[in-house]
Formats: sequence, C-alpha cells, structure tokens
Amino acid sequence: MAQTQEINIPVADPNDSYANPAAMPSSADRAPRSFEVSAFARPDRTQEDWRYTPVERVEEFFDVFRPSNETDISVSMIDGSPLADGVTVDRVALGDAGTGIVSKPNDRVSAVEWNSGERATVLKLEGEIGQPVLVKVHGNGFAMDAFHLVVIAADHTHADVVVEHDGDARIAEGVEISTGKDSHISTTFIQEWNKGSKQIGNQRIHMGEGASLRHSVVTLGGDVVRIRMDQDFGGEQGDLNMLGIYFVDPGEHIEHRTMIVHNHPECRSRVVYKGALDGKDAHSTWVGNALIAPTAPGTDSYELNRNLVLTPGAIADSEPNLEIENGNIIGAGHASSVGRFDDEELFYLQSRGIPEVEARKLVVRGFFGELVEEIGIPSISEHLMNVIDKRLTRGESDAVAQVLEEK
Amino acid sequence: MSTLEIKDLYAHVETKDGIKPILKGVNLTVNSGETHAIMGPNGSGKSTLAYTLAGHPKYIVDSGQVLLDGEDILKMTPDERAKAGIFLAMQYPVEVPGVSMTNFLRTAKTEVDGKAPAIRTWTKELTEAMKRLRMDPKFATRSVNEGFSGGEKKRAEVLQLELLKPKFAILDETDSGLDVDALRIVSEGVNRAKEANQFGILMVTHYTRILKYIKPDIVHVFAAGHFVKTGGPELADELEENGYDVYLPEDADPESALA
Repeated sequence: MAQTQEINIPVADPNDSYANPAAMPSSADRAPRSFEVSAFARPDRTQEDWRYTPVERVEEFFDVFRPSNETDISVSMIDGSPLADGVTVDRVALGDAGTGIVSKPNDRVSAVEWNSGERATVLKLEGEIGQPVLVKVHGNGFAMDAFHLVVIAADHTHADVVVEHDGDARIAEGVEISTGKDSHISTTFIQEWNKGSKQIGNQRIHMGEGASLRHSVVTLGGDVVRIRMDQDFGGEQGDLNMLGIYFVDPGEHIEHRTMIVHNHPECRSRVVYKGALDGKDAHSTWVGNALIAPTAPGTDSYELNRNLVLTPGAIADSEPNLEIENGNIIGAGHASSVGRFDDEELFYLQSRGIPEVEARKLVVRGFFGELVEEIGIPSISEHLMNVIDKRLTRGESDAVAQVLEEK
Repeated sequence: MSTLEIKDLYAHVETKDGIKPILKGVNLTVNSGETHAIMGPNGSGKSTLAYTLAGHPKYIVDSGQVLLDGEDILKMTPDERAKAGIFLAMQYPVEVPGVSMTNFLRTAKTEVDGKAPAIRTWTKELTEAMKRLRMDPKFATRSVNEGFSGGEKKRAEVLQLELLKPKFAILDETDSGLDVDALRIVSEGVNRAKEANQFGILMVTHYTRILKYIKPDIVHVFAAGHFVKTGGPELADELEENGYDVYLPEDADPESALA
C-alpha cells in the first residue's frame, strides 16, 4: 500500500547559516543585480571576481564614460547578402523597450556599460534561418566606446549568429541573449582585435524551455579581453553547450568567466574551454561556475578547461567552481588542467623528420581540433585553424612576421 | 651504399652539479647492410651515443664529427638528420597527446620523402605494416604512443622504421620490456625492414637475448664513454658468460653516469 510521505524542506536559521547547510543562501542570492553603477564597488584584486584580472590595466572601464560611437556595426548574412526573412535588426536607444530584458548588470563594468552606452542593436530571429547571421563589430581607434547587442530568438526558431570583433578598440560590450521555447540557436563570438585593444564584455543569457543553445567564444587577440557570461534556464529540458577557444600572445590577458545557473529540472549544460599560451607574460584566466539550485533536480552538468603552455613564461589560471544545492541530479563534473608542450615531445616529432614549426602546428591542431569542429560553422572552423597556424608560424620568416605585424 | 662514420666524438650533459662528460672519444664506422651490436654496462653512455646521433638537445657535442656519406650531421637539426636518413628507435617513445598516429605518420613520411605519399598506396602500406606487427588497427586513430603498453610502443617504433625507410637505424634498447612473443614480432619487423631497405643498424642493448633474433655482424663493447673492444658475434656470448667487469676501470661507478 502506497504511503504518503511528508517532505520536510529545511529552513535556514537566520542566526547561524551553517546550522542547516542545505538552506544556506547561494552565491547567486548574495550577488547584487542592478542597473546602477553605485550598486557595485570599484573592482580591486581583493574581490573574488577580480582576483585574476590586472585591474590597473582596465581602470577606464570602472566609471561611466562618453562613448566615441566610432565603432562600425554591420549586420548581414554570413555570405554578405542582405538579411533573410525572419531576421530583423533595430537600432534603439539603450534603455528603451527591448533592451535590458535579460536579468540586470551583475558587476561594476556591466553597469558602467549600461550607463555609458547610448544605443543598442536588437537582432530578432524567427523561423528557420538558412545561413548564419553575421554581426561585424569593427573598432576604429582607442577612444572609449560601448556596444550593446540584444539577440532575441522566437519560439521554435533555428538560427546561427556569428559576432566578429576586429580592429583597434577600447570597448565595453553588453550582450543579452534570450531564446524562445524549443528554439535551437548557436551564437559564436570571435575576438580578433589588433594589438593594444581592450574589451570588457558581459553577456546575460536566458534560454527557453526545451531550447538548445550552442554558445562559442573564440578569443585570438587583444591586450586585455575579459568576458563574463551569466546564464540561466527558463524551463525544463534546456540544453546549453558552451565552447571556448583562446590563443594568448606575450603580455596579453585573456579572461573568460562562465556562470551557469541550473534553476529548472532536467536541464543539461556542458562547458568546454581550451586555450594555448605562447610567450612571456601571456596570461589566461578561466573561471567556470555552475550553480545547481534546489529547484533543478535531474541536472546534468559538466565543465572542463584545458590549457596548453607552448613556451615558458606564460601563466594560465583555471578555476572551476561547483555549487550544488540539490542531491537529486545526474551529474555535476568538472576538470581542469594546465600542461606544457615539452621538449621531449618536440624532439620526438623532430626525430621523425618533422620541423619544429610543423611539430607545434601538429600538437596545437590536435589540441583544438575537436573543439573547432564542434563550433559547427565550417567557414569559421577553417578560418580559425588558419589563424592559429599563422600564429605558430610567426618568426618562421621575416616576411610572414611582417604580415602579422600589419594585421 | 651509405656509410656512417663517427670520428673522435666527445659530448657532455649539464647537470645540477655541473658539466658531466659522457662520450669520450667515440670512433665507429657502419656501412649499409651491416648490423652492429653495442653492448656495455649501465651508465657507460650507450644511450647517450644514440641520442647524440639523433640530435637530442640535452647532449652537447664538444668535438668530433659524425659523417653520413661525408656530410657532418652534427651541424643539422634533429629533423634534418631524420631527412638525411637517421632513425632512432627510442627506449621510451614519447606520448604526444592530441596528435593521431595516422596524422603523425603521414606528416613524418611527407617530410622525410619531401612529398606527400600517394593516398591509396600509403594506406595500403600502413595497414599491411601494422598487420605484420600484429598491431590493432585502432592504434592508427589513437594519439601517438598515448596509453600504449611498453610492447605496443616498441611495435610502433618498428612500424615507423618500416615506413620511413632510413639509411641507418639506431635501436636503443628496443628489446627492453618485451615479452618473448613481442620480442620475436619486433625483431622480425626490424629484419624485414632491413631486408627491404638494406640499412645499417646500430643496436644498443644490455642483453644477448635480442641477438638471437637480430644477428649482429659486429659486436662492440662500450664502456666509460667509448668503444673498448670489437669482435664478431662470439663476443656477445663471451659477455653473457663473463659480464662487463673486465672492461670497467678500477674506480668506476657504473651507475653514476647519465646514460
């Protein structure tokens, strides 16, 4: 005979949160969310979120600034053709309806972006979009600028979006992504800035019930690039796949922070970030948070970060964090590593006739190969591998070096 | 017909405690088709000789020459030596994560030959060579040496020897860590490759076991950084019987040298 069992939901003791750990407030509850800059302290390295960031190199992003509005923004299909049916682009004032729709800024720099920026690009997607939509963001100088992009995918939409960044820039960027019920969307963000450029990015992502999102980030250049991505689900059966690839040159700081929130039952998330570091003071940071709320039984999550240090003098920080508030889940895994391309591997390949530069290419291609394929947009995958090959060829001949200087 | 001449070769390594001379006047000539066994106690510098010939950066040449058909390979990078026709089968083949055996072999073959192998014949050659070495076809898709057992790694070395067709093969303790069956398969592979390509072999080993399968024409004793005795195959039997003691200097500490 079936018996009804009473479930006791634990209640927090306000005087002693450790008395009942299951009811302790989660980090998400504690973190402020606000459109006001004053809600957030100025970042310094004693703050957990900023401990890996060279804050002195990005101070200009800590207070509201006047944007230059010199950054070129263009939107087309990836083959250059005009927008297909089902794709609309609006330029609206930041703060108008259709902006600020996904959560609220969650740190000082995102609040500064919100209050400094003047206009937003709102990209709406509906239906089956045959080829990827390309948003080109081209910087025209080092005067401070802001860029705000909102991507809204309607229910049942199938679409791919590619956002390319290049040129000279000092840019604060805010991205909001909202996907509808049962939509299947991919977004790919490529950072290929010129030397001396800085980008402080903040993405807020909300996925519909039963929706899948493949979110790729490829960062190949910039003096300082720091992108924080916060995500949550809007219903059951969401499927999030976050991929990241980065290649860090001497003196660069490249930082990615993925903050996954499982707030609905039976959603799945995968985060795979891989980076190669080349040269003195190349610095990468990956911080991956996954919060599994009490409301998310049946969660299946996994996050992984691998770093390949090609030459001595580089630093890779890698920090996976799990906050698990529900015991009834399928999995919450993480893995993290920093490895070196060592002299013995190089000698082995060389002793079989493979020159040093080719040996490095083989190893780095092998390291990134699978992940690059997963981005799922062939022209991007090919472009990526070419760029990485070129990086590894640098110094091979003066002519090539010249070309790279000019890039 | 090729000749490899080692002339009065001196080399050292740098250790925490300073410079340590290891090779102290090595002289040897090997011709195509000849098999030389290099035997000697632990720490005598046999492996150092092998790695120095292949160009490992850890071993620094002080003086001497190594002439391959008259050209000094000591001036070449390791990949240039491989292209010139030197192949080192390593005692501990290195794992290269992320690079598949197939991709690695095709790249090496392309570099060594100076042109990409024709796809159809290459695939056939690879498949057949693997089959003869009793290698599971799935090895081709795995990362280079990653997760291979000791025996599998040695087979993979011999596979490369067969495919890359060098002028001289240096086998550094290819017999170590092999069981009887694996030793036979690996030895057969070496003999087959030699039969096909008539390369010269320098075979570094501690034990006479492998010499039952790969018959040496000439046996050398290597001790304290150079060759101290040379003879025919019968010298190996003598070493098996009496050990290396007579070749060691009075004050030698055989474990001290880095070999």
